Amino acid sequence: MILDLHTHSIKSDDGRAKVENYCQWIRSKDVPIDGFVLTEHRQHDFESDYSALAEKHGLVILKGSEVETEYGHVLVFGVTEALTQAFDFSRIDLQLEMVIETCEAHGAVAAPCHPGRPRVGMFAHTEELGIPKGVKIVEIYNGGSRDNEDQIAIDNAEELGYLGIGGSDSHIVSHIGRCATEFSEDIRSMDDLVGALQAGEFKAVTFKH
Amino acid sequence: MAISVLSEVEFGEDLPAFKPDTSLETGAKFAKLVGWDGPRFTDHEAAKEEGLAGAMIPGILSQGYLIAMIHNWAPPAEIIKVDTVFRAAVMADDSHTITGVVTDIDEENATVEIDLTVTNEKGETRVFGTANVRLPK
Repeated sequence: MILDLHTHSIKSDDGRAKVENYCQWIRSKDVPIDGFVLTEHRQHDFESDYSALAEKHGLVILKGSEVETEYGHVLVFGVTEALTQAFDFSRIDLQLEMVIETCEAHGAVAAPCHPGRPRVGMFAHTEELGIPKGVKIVEIYNGGSRDNEDQIAIDNAEELGYLGIGGSDSHIVSHIGRCATEFSEDIRSMDDLVGALQAGEFKAVTFKH
Repeated sequence: MAISVLSEVEFGEDLPAFKPDTSLETGAKFAKLVGWDGPRFTDHEAAKEEGLAGAMIPGILSQGYLIAMIHNWAPPAEIIKVDTVFRAAVMADDSHTITGVVTDIDEENATVEIDLTVTNEKGETRVFGTANVRLPK
């Protein structure tokens, strides 16, 4: 089962894609993914219900978040009301180690995304700030990467023993599914996804060409 | 075939790719015409002294190219909005390609949404965005 773990809709300030159009696009273009996770910037969208769309198109649609820390951006899977009260998702100066620790305490998973990117990627900051504690998973394939950003992520993840996930980081419809994550088990809910991530049963895949 | 009416448009349809003129000469000429006569648009070495990778194409020229691509595809299209996110600069003298694809059709309002992407020779997305255009029914 393949899920794009990093997508944005019009709920994000720089997102331009409607979720319905993502679904139409995946089906009409035979994009090789079975679903996607909406990871809106600096927030968690509790309100939107995409279950009818998911059923109509036969796709898994889940919701996570993308928060911002001193080490750059971080995907969060398994967000609950309690977790959003534990720290302020809207801040751009969260502490990565606190985010990881708090997520774990709430049964969620935090994974730095596009870590090879200047400024907003974790490995741009490790020389100055040191290797942060608690990181287990990083995004090694990102659909928006330029130059050798993915390679920096892959090399550093390998050196530090991190597991790798993939996501398109799509902000417009036609960019969904460029990168994704393959799971050995069926993923139907956020609980399934968090369980698979915690178990390390996945691998990053890329469809960029 | 150029599009003349909404009913000719299909979801997922690719617009003909467009190769914009991103030469330093054209970018610099445009910058001077619009009063942006700074070295970052006119001189690679001077741009590097500003900390840039080289001279850039002015953003509004890139947006003009996006609109030109849409009009090449559908000459009667009324451009309602072009909404772009510049992830990285469009570098002068680098070859770029603009692609567009139809991602939404609103038959009631006779509008179409188009995803727009500007990529360089390495296939890196420099600019992405969407356009909303109205077509005759």
